[in-house]
Amino acid sequence: MIRMILTRLISSFFTLTILITIVFFMAHATPGGPAFSILGQKATPQAVEQLNQKLGLTASLWRQYVMWFWHLLHGQLGYSYLLNRPVRQLVGDCMVNTLALYASAMLFSVTLAIAIGLIQGITWGRWPANLIRLLELCFYAMPTFFVGTLMILYLSVKWRIFPTGGISSVRISDPGLLDYMRHLVLPVVTVALLGTASLSYYFGASVHEELGKDYVRTALAKGLTFRAVLFRHVLRNALRPLVTMVGLAFPYIFAGSVMVETVFNYPGLGYLLWRSALSQDYPVISAIVLLIGCLTVLGNLFADIVNGLLDPRERYE
Amino acid sequence: MSGTTTPSFRPIGGRVRRAIFSGVAESLGERGTLTAGTVLATLVVSFCLLGPIFCRASPYAIHVGDAYYPPSSQFFLGTDQIGRDELARLIAGGYTTLAVSIPAAILAFIVGTVFGFSAGLGPIWLDKVLMRVLDAVLALPALILLIFFASLLTPSSFQLILLLGLTSWPGLARLVRNEAIAQRGRDFVHASRQCGGGTFHIAWTHLLPVIAPVLVFNGTFLVGDQILALSALSFLGLGIQPPEASWGGLLQAGLNLVVVDPWWMIVPAGVMIFLSIAATNLIGQGILTRSEEAV
Repeated sequence: MIRMILTRLISSFFTLTILITIVFFMAHATPGGPAFSILGQKATPQAVEQLNQKLGLTASLWRQYVMWFWHLLHGQLGYSYLLNRPVRQLVGDCMVNTLALYASAMLFSVTLAIAIGLIQGITWGRWPANLIRLLELCFYAMPTFFVGTLMILYLSVKWRIFPTGGISSVRISDPGLLDYMRHLVLPVVTVALLGTASLSYYFGASVHEELGKDYVRTALAKGLTFRAVLFRHVLRNALRPLVTMVGLAFPYIFAGSVMVETVFNYPGLGYLLWRSALSQDYPVISAIVLLIGCLTVLGNLFADIVNGLLDPRERYE
Repeated sequence: MSGTTTPSFRPIGGRVRRAIFSGVAESLGERGTLTAGTVLATLVVSFCLLGPIFCRASPYAIHVGDAYYPPSSQFFLGTDQIGRDELARLIAGGYTTLAVSIPAAILAFIVGTVFGFSAGLGPIWLDKVLMRVLDAVLALPALILLIFFASLLTPSSFQLILLLGLTSWPGLARLVRNEAIAQRGRDFVHASRQCGGGTFHIAWTHLLPVIAPVLVFNGTFLVGDQILALSALSFLGLGIQPPEASWGGLLQAGLNLVVVDPWWMIVPAGVMIFLSIAATNLIGQGILTRSEEAV
């Protein structure tokens, strides 16, 4: 198990290095540059030159790359050009918000997916399962930003149940936890609905598959109730593929949450990525890309470890 | 890792999609799925291409007095915040979306196939290098890469085609590579090699027809992916630039005005995106089921 984790970590390190190299050079090779974003399009060449000197952008590309990588190895992510704050602090703040959004959405959608998947698996081939499948299909093909916009249109503008966006009310000087939670509801539900659509079908299919297996018949034959078989045996086995999916879904749901964060003006990582991409704030972009890459790798690793715990056979592969 | 035994088109997208849509194929049957998809696709495409014949209004003409007008007999889907006909903009936006997404899908298709064959049939070191590059690209969701690159360029339509095409091939490339590796030990490949057939010849004449079904349904899925990606980018203001219309852009305009409840600026554009994605997925799944049944 430990050997497997180590090999995976080392190969992930190489993958991430390649990724971050590509991103670094692409960002620096494009015309324009951060000087224009900071000084405006009408900046004089002298001012641009001066600022570039100050930001260290006049050094050769390789030198910048080596420097940046060296700092990265020492845990330093540099300063945002535009916001004049340490990237680590900036990313850290947004990371907390994204994690809050993301963790609640994952929790919500996995719980929902298990409940829906169970119903679907049990009623497989009859109308409840078919109805659920139709809904799953609709939500799967529905773009996140459309769902988010509809939520705002109906739940906040028309029926005024939830705020339209942001993370806390501006009018309240000291927004409490309740206010934050109220702002979280719509983004969380939007992210979760799409996650649920994908996960529940997958889970339902594996429940259906497990129910047809010999051990279920044996268990029922020896007198166990259906409920006991379902929760003690089937659930455990059907959960395995779901865990893999959740691990793999990590970065994809994150990508979806970029759109959600933009729709709801929610100050998370995706929102930060979007803002800094618009102003070519290289240090911030590189840091976020690296971070998402790491999350992907960790998501995969997480899936493998949990699978190893659920099924001992996995540990020796 | 569990689950790697079933080759998937994409780490998660593919597996979930196959799961959901194979369920649809189960209920509708192969023919039903294909028919449903084709009907939807025909509707969407003819709306975009034939729309201008029925809706003569210009998508750019500004009706000053009629700004922000709900649907009526004069403006079938209402007008936007500066008085442009929403229906005309929906049609024009659809045309632009298709004109960018389909070439982008074709580009991704070609790059992915060539890359996959190079990795699968080339020397082992090339395979190793290419697969590492592939892993690196796949470590990031395509949308993140797209946002990143699109923001560097503020792309034109042509650049958008390149951008979308060049960020969405890795899934297909991995699939083609796996297929090529699975097929390269077959007798007919050895026979061709004995007769002096080069690698390119083998790939083109012998392997391509064998893996054609896999390519075709993944190519169909690619179109849907491109429509979604392009709409997302335009929604973020990084894709098709105003005043040119696009479905994502229309949605964005609706969202900006959301406080005054402009449902006619939001719902039609979203439904069009939804329908086109559903259509391509149904067709792809239909083809997949048909090829599986044929085997």
